[in-house]
Amino acid sequence: MHLNYLANIGRYIPEVILVLLMVGLIILEATYKEDEKNRKYIFIATLVGLVATLGALIANMSGKAEAIFSNSIIIDQFSTLIKMVMVLGTLAAIYLSRFSKDIYESLKTEFAIMAVGILIGGFLLASANNMLTFYLGIETLSILSYVMAALKKNDQRSSEAGLKYALYGGISAGLMLFGMSHIFGVLGTIQFAGVAKMIPTLTSAQLAILMPSFVLLFAGIGYKIASVPFHMWSPDVYEGSPTPVTTFFAIVPKLAGIAALIRITAVFFVVDSPMKIGWIGLLIVISALTMTVGNVTAIGQKSVKRMLAYSSISHAGIMLAGIVVINDVGIRSVVFYGITYLFMTLVAFYITSIVQDKYGNDHFDRFSGLIYRYPFMAVMMAVVMFSLTGLPPLAGFVAKYNIISSLINSKNYALAIVLGLNSVVSAYYYLKIVRLMTLKPQESNEEIEGFGFLNQMVIVSMTVPVFVLGIFWETIMNLAAGAKLFIQ
Amino acid sequence: MSSIYYYLAGFLFTLGLLGTIFKKDLISILLCLELMMGGVSLLIILFSRSTGLLDAQLLVFFMIIVSACEVAIGLSLIIALHRKKQTIYTDDIKIITE
Repeated sequence: MHLNYLANIGRYIPEVILVLLMVGLIILEATYKEDEKNRKYIFIATLVGLVATLGALIANMSGKAEAIFSNSIIIDQFSTLIKMVMVLGTLAAIYLSRFSKDIYESLKTEFAIMAVGILIGGFLLASANNMLTFYLGIETLSILSYVMAALKKNDQRSSEAGLKYALYGGISAGLMLFGMSHIFGVLGTIQFAGVAKMIPTLTSAQLAILMPSFVLLFAGIGYKIASVPFHMWSPDVYEGSPTPVTTFFAIVPKLAGIAALIRITAVFFVVDSPMKIGWIGLLIVISALTMTVGNVTAIGQKSVKRMLAYSSISHAGIMLAGIVVINDVGIRSVVFYGITYLFMTLVAFYITSIVQDKYGNDHFDRFSGLIYRYPFMAVMMAVVMFSLTGLPPLAGFVAKYNIISSLINSKNYALAIVLGLNSVVSAYYYLKIVRLMTLKPQESNEEIEGFGFLNQMVIVSMTVPVFVLGIFWETIMNLAAGAKLFIQ
Repeated sequence: MSSIYYYLAGFLFTLGLLGTIFKKDLISILLCLELMMGGVSLLIILFSRSTGLLDAQLLVFFMIIVSACEVAIGLSLIIALHRKKQTIYTDDIKIITE
């Protein structure tokens, strides 16, 4: 039998570009001397490569959805849209790494290489259609993340963060594989569609084995999106790693994990079955816990980065709440939430990173009186904080509103109430920064070099979508609604 | 006959899992992770043999490669930390706190 392995390569161009880019960057890096300061060609190459990937993804968006490579990878509108969001996040993180002092000058290329590598893993995970590609996606994401977290090799905290990440990651991958092996053992297939076909017709003995197996399968994804009870690594890693790395971690692995979870839920649990009730129940409990634990713990934090880490945990909980509603409306609202989350998180981390570069730490007090020195930046930070809380007319409000309305439509009232209450709790720590920036006297009059004209422009251009998505959200909503899952 | 292997795989996995939780030095934790992976690999091969399907055996090949990468990275991170702290015991290296 002869198989034409390259028959579907046309739909796989974005990933191919990324692989070539990663290899190209490694070769390009070798042409520089070790102490060379300004490696601008690497930056340009990364930029060009990522923009080309974005273009290829846009071209893919209009093609028809299909399963490629012996049904192991699915290229559909949903995965393509999530991939576009991930590419934008990577672009922003790489730009941040260019001027951040948190990454050593000689390691900036490495950051770009690993960011592209993690992006490849994220792409694989977002369009995985069997357990093999799913596992490979998670591991490609993870293995490079471990190194990336430990990028500040002279800093003990960074090494510790990387090691913690690696150990937690190894354990959760082991648990996930244990679950997968039982799913394979009982159902005899590793294709998602094959599993989905068997799920409604399970006997009670099979259910008794498969229920725990699916919980273990969730452990693997839950760890990547940092949901409770697998969130323990997240604040430590976010605090210990350099800020551009934290920015990257808050976006790409999280969105890739959410995408995989959406696909699993939408493929496996279409027809009503005892399994479906169990899985949705699990998601509801975990979503409520994730939101609450993230928000309540964020209140007591002194470091802004750690606060943002807990806040990103709670946002993962909100996205999980959208996944509970597995219909078109629920998926659409989660995709929209992902898009707004990208912009809000980026601005918050950019400003935090620049302030931290100046003062060497990121305590809340460093923000006091920022409005008297950099009124524009303080206003942008305040806008993002209001949006993260979910105040109208900003994007965060629309995103939360959509998830709550889809929850109420599907009669999940309890979860909707928990989500509403959590927004109130989150207002406390988000607005604390706004209060410090506006009402406290400034600590010093020093100039912050990071807030140059160009960087201010970049930050403003990333805040504009937060406004625009809050008011003219129909266009993006239609785009998100077009992000249909293709199940085969 | 195959149930013996099932128990062996379960035993290896449990041993590894308990080791990762209770062991205090990093090298042992890494070894226990490998033990977990070994248990799961055995389990998958066992299921693959009993069902007669080969696609899951492919998964085992990938698992072996990936877990080798994981251990390599884990070891290099331990070395990076050891250079700073001269210790590999988990109790001594907790720096990031609340």
